[in-house]
Amino acid sequence: MIRSLLRQGEMAVLLAVALVILPLLLLLPPWLPMLVLCMLALRAVLLRRQAVLPSLYLLLPLLLLAIGGLWLSLNTLVGREGGAALLILLLGFKSFESRQQRDWQVLLALGFFLAAMPLLFDQSPLAAVWLAISLLALTWAMLILSGEMVEGSLRSAMQALSLSLPLMLVLFVVMPRLPGPLWSMPHDQHVAGTGLSDSMEPGSISQLVQQQEPAFSVVFAERVPAVSEMYWRIMIFDDFDGRRWQNVRGLSSETVRWQGGRLVSYSLTGKPSKARLPLLEYTVTAPAGGVLEPGNLFKLARDGDELFRFQAESLLAGHYRTVLSRADQDFYRHLPPGNPASRQLALQWRAQGGDGAGFIRTALQYFRLGGFAYTLQPPLLNSEDGIDQFMFSSRQGFCEHYASALAFMARAAGMPARIVTGYQGGQFNPVGQFWQVRSSDAHAWVEIWLAESGEWLRVDPTAAVAPDRVAQGVSQSIPAMQPQLPVLGRSMPGWLLRVQQNWQAAGFAWQQWVVGYDAGKQLNLYRWLGLGDQVDSGTVLRAVLIGGSLACLPLLLLWRRRPSVPPLQQGRHRLVQALAAMGIVVVDSDGPLDILNKARRLPEPDYRQLKALLKEYAAMRYRQPAAPQQARQWLRRVKAFRPGRQ
Amino acid sequence: MLLFRKSLQRWLLGRLPLQRAGRLGQKRIYLLPTRFGLLLLLVALAVWVGALNYAVSLAYALAFWIIGLMLVAVLMAYRQLSGLSWTVLPGEGVFVGQHADCRIRLDNDSALARRLQLRAGQEGEPLSCLLAAGSSQSLALPLLLARRGRHAYPALQLWSTAPFGLMRAFAWLRPDGHVLAYPLPVPDRERNDLHSEQGSGRQSGDDEEDFSHLAEYRQGDTPRQIAWSVLARRDVLVSKRFASQPRGQSIRQLAWQDYPATVDVESRLSRLCWRVQQCEKAGQHYRLHLPGVLIEPQPQQRELALAALAEFQLPS
Repeated sequence: MIRSLLRQGEMAVLLAVALVILPLLLLLPPWLPMLVLCMLALRAVLLRRQAVLPSLYLLLPLLLLAIGGLWLSLNTLVGREGGAALLILLLGFKSFESRQQRDWQVLLALGFFLAAMPLLFDQSPLAAVWLAISLLALTWAMLILSGEMVEGSLRSAMQALSLSLPLMLVLFVVMPRLPGPLWSMPHDQHVAGTGLSDSMEPGSISQLVQQQEPAFSVVFAERVPAVSEMYWRIMIFDDFDGRRWQNVRGLSSETVRWQGGRLVSYSLTGKPSKARLPLLEYTVTAPAGGVLEPGNLFKLARDGDELFRFQAESLLAGHYRTVLSRADQDFYRHLPPGNPASRQLALQWRAQGGDGAGFIRTALQYFRLGGFAYTLQPPLLNSEDGIDQFMFSSRQGFCEHYASALAFMARAAGMPARIVTGYQGGQFNPVGQFWQVRSSDAHAWVEIWLAESGEWLRVDPTAAVAPDRVAQGVSQSIPAMQPQLPVLGRSMPGWLLRVQQNWQAAGFAWQQWVVGYDAGKQLNLYRWLGLGDQVDSGTVLRAVLIGGSLACLPLLLLWRRRPSVPPLQQGRHRLVQALAAMGIVVVDSDGPLDILNKARRLPEPDYRQLKALLKEYAAMRYRQPAAPQQARQWLRRVKAFRPGRQ
Repeated sequence: MLLFRKSLQRWLLGRLPLQRAGRLGQKRIYLLPTRFGLLLLLVALAVWVGALNYAVSLAYALAFWIIGLMLVAVLMAYRQLSGLSWTVLPGEGVFVGQHADCRIRLDNDSALARRLQLRAGQEGEPLSCLLAAGSSQSLALPLLLARRGRHAYPALQLWSTAPFGLMRAFAWLRPDGHVLAYPLPVPDRERNDLHSEQGSGRQSGDDEEDFSHLAEYRQGDTPRQIAWSVLARRDVLVSKRFASQPRGQSIRQLAWQDYPATVDVESRLSRLCWRVQQCEKAGQHYRLHLPGVLIEPQPQQRELALAALAEFQLPS
């Protein structure tokens, strides 16, 4: 039943594309993939019944209606969600417009493109497995559509995919990865929003960091600051409820006295989110098109999410001096009850350190030496006293954990403190000559107000725990294995711990080498393999040639391994060819006697020779099974038989 | 573009020798992506650009996997043609205005089934064929013959897009074969009756008959006619045929000179052709006499006579 259904290549195509869009059920508003799946099913029914397809005049309004619904539920037709949604809609409608093989091929090609869509949302190993399944289904449908037999087609598809797998791996590794987008980003529309949320709780930034979407791009005029100096501030959080940081009050006005530092001018392009764009710390005058809010934040004059570009000047390593009123100081010191142990430790630090600067030194030293680890997968902080749990037992976290803990400690010690979120660092794109900041650069740090000098001082506890994070970026700084870490819950048995750690390590390796394989890693690999000191056309060519020829070895093996035809069959074929050269036409259904009969007009010696050969053939073929050696000998004599050549 | 393609093709064909048989190898097989293949390459490119822009590593994998698949498709399409042998089979003649068959035989001695298509020139209607492993197949391409004479087989294009439809492997063949277009028979009743015979048929009244040739045994042949010596040697029943006619029958003369000088060449040939057919139909023995050509009664006389008519050129 199923076989006879699939005999139609068109049915196979429908099945394959349905399989490809299945994961989008989880990633898009579910009604949409559901609608498209229903359309594909309906198309399959029509195909089975050989029914007439609906006319274009019916389809077009329906398509417009569906696009309207899409607009209402997503508010966009471009970008990740919008683009994927629009594409699968088009796929559904194209299936109703597919009649000839060429149309079905277009549908299949669209399916290959759609296989990339889930990857924009998720790059987990599971997504990779699904990608392989999708490719298998599409390749198989391609085989059947082009007229291959259904029997064995799945095997052929698997064979073709596994033969192309090494080629894919080589290209994946050696084809140049640009540090940034292909075309010059500052003039491009493909910039995603800055993506930071309105509040910060454990996990909110580490989620963002796992995405690689471009956030904004920057061009520096002359002097380029060091990566560790690039702090892009977007938002300030000043209120803590025991778990979450939020922006509650803010300051209505602020008088700042800037001191020291050096000026750097830059232009930044990005899509504002809630009328906010990042500023390089500290930007002294408001860029055109917006205002400087207290806290050195940039607020655009106009709301909207169109790409915005501005020029600004920033005071690198300047002093941010401002006067805080008594009430403001109290506001920045407010804490909810709880976390007694941490409060006690904070007071102890304050007593040890003496002044504010001394407290900060002590705190950073505690983070540096206290066995803290920087990880994307920290244990869940589920107790009432989350800060205590983090400070004394779990000690694993991402930047938001550290920033939260330090701000808490400072407040507990009686110092005004707040959290700044934004981005840290960036990647230089040598092609476009600009700096690309991605979601993965999202960061959170702390500002503490020192009463002695009356300035907001930036303190980045993450830099103390993982200095590489600030100097080189996120991907370089998450350590691969943390077997020495004290993991939450002492009662966990050893084997489970090992399983968990191995699982984390595997996940990290995947993140590091597959998802996070970028220009930097590629360069390291090139050096390590001795292919060259840089990734340029010469070294890439060399790598493609060497790697490609290695990857073609399986192909070569397939080529060499021709399953040989049994000697009897081969010999009969030879005889038929030899006779054909004499103008004697033998068809496949002819038996030995028929052949002999047809060959009567051969010259006498040839005829006699042929008769002997055929007699032997008949004996080996029909009387007793021939020994392989005997059959080969016979084949040799057949090869020597050349009628008409006396 | 089209002009360029035409001239490229002419150059390509000019390089090929006329062959009675051949085996396809590296030198003869060309590979080009099909429209579908180009589309898929475009998809790979789009996925790659998206991967670059969004830094999606797995999308690189998808793009490169498609590229890898294309390369595998190149090899597989090449394998469809590589090592395939072909042999020209003689074509049977037809009358002017009919379709003759250009017959070619494909031999697949590999253990791989092949899915092939064949057509004459660039525009002809393609013929599909599925060649199982180790099998042979004869294909006949119809060719409309519009004028009398010998027509060489056209150049043939043999191609396959199997197994994916992504790549097209093709080869040009220049088969060294021909088909004959016999003159269109035009009835010539006044010269069809026995009385219009000219010249003298050889009347052999005696019982002694001259041995002419051996032919396949037909039911009704007398034991006297059977060639016993052949039977002894080859286990085949063969009958002797004798040159003399059954009593009372004469040999009809079909001659160029039957017509007055005002009748032109083609009309003469057409009429003679019709008369040859009439004789064959009636079992009447005949002798065809053209300037420089004489076809006596003999085995396969019909083919010889028609071929002579088809290829006749006035001696200059």
